[in-house]
Amino acid sequence: MSQTNMPREFISVPMTVDVPYRFAAGKYLTRFLKELRDNGRFFGIKCPSCGRVQMPPRIVCAPCHVRNEEWVELGLEGTLVGFTVMYLPLTDPTTGKPHEPPFVYGAVVLDGADSSLSHLVNVEPDVEKIKVGMRMRVVLRPREERTGDLSDILYFEPAAGPVQD
Amino acid sequence: MTEEMDYGVFEVDQHITAHSRYYAGWMGSHFYIRLRDEKKIHGVRCESCAKVFWPPRSTCGRCFSQLTADDLVEIGPEGTVETFTRVDYEEPVHPRRAPLIYAVITLDGADTGMAHFLGEVDFDRIEIGMRVRPVFAEERKGHILDIAYFKPV
Repeated sequence: MSQTNMPREFISVPMTVDVPYRFAAGKYLTRFLKELRDNGRFFGIKCPSCGRVQMPPRIVCAPCHVRNEEWVELGLEGTLVGFTVMYLPLTDPTTGKPHEPPFVYGAVVLDGADSSLSHLVNVEPDVEKIKVGMRMRVVLRPREERTGDLSDILYFEPAAGPVQD
Repeated sequence: MTEEMDYGVFEVDQHITAHSRYYAGWMGSHFYIRLRDEKKIHGVRCESCAKVFWPPRSTCGRCFSQLTADDLVEIGPEGTVETFTRVDYEEPVHPRRAPLIYAVITLDGADTGMAHFLGEVDFDRIEIGMRVRPVFAEERKGHILDIAYFKPV
């Protein structure tokens, strides 16, 4: 490309796509979110065929394709099964606002569940101090501030107990 | 727990915001600088296809020839409405409030059309083939909305 092609300045335009939306939670997710909002409890759903407890609950077991009907109350504590230290702002899908980095985002399997829940982890963002297998507890917003989405969970924080293998 | 509790209907409000920056590239920068500083619209001519594209691009989409700043040609300012649509609902993705008209406009001297707004127009009297000319924004920033809209000639 010849030098004459070069413009005297390069043009760029900041762009923001802003999409508020609303979804119908459906029968199972409605029960899950209302129990979380009103009673501060977590429920999973147990597959009658493979016994897997899925959370958030879905009507059909993903591996077995059978109908799930047995509701199981889960613990407010669980085990960290994966994490990442975020150095870029992550947009919170419940508010559209970015979360200031650095921070830790982790996947926790609540006691009694077989699937994990990903959320913020309130620990120092230092990979030396975070371990897969750490015991975690859910910290919820106060009842009057809860709205019935996953922002009702403030974060996970370390709980007492030995690291799980 | 009781199995048949009624949990009713529940809707969840969510919100996605995605921030980005669009880089116009060197060919696009020539286009926007001339639009902003001179209120002139340029297309790019591919010599081997004998076609003029708007907005200008650095590679011909038909024959893949490399195009240069020397291939830029002034087009318009008047042009023809190729097709149009009327938008009556509000969506955050629209840069303007509804109701509005999007039209594909082929400028004189160009072989391709581009979507833009029609303004100062009776919505019931828009026709394909209508002649239009651009109204430039007072404050231009090197953005496609430096053309505020096109209005009937």
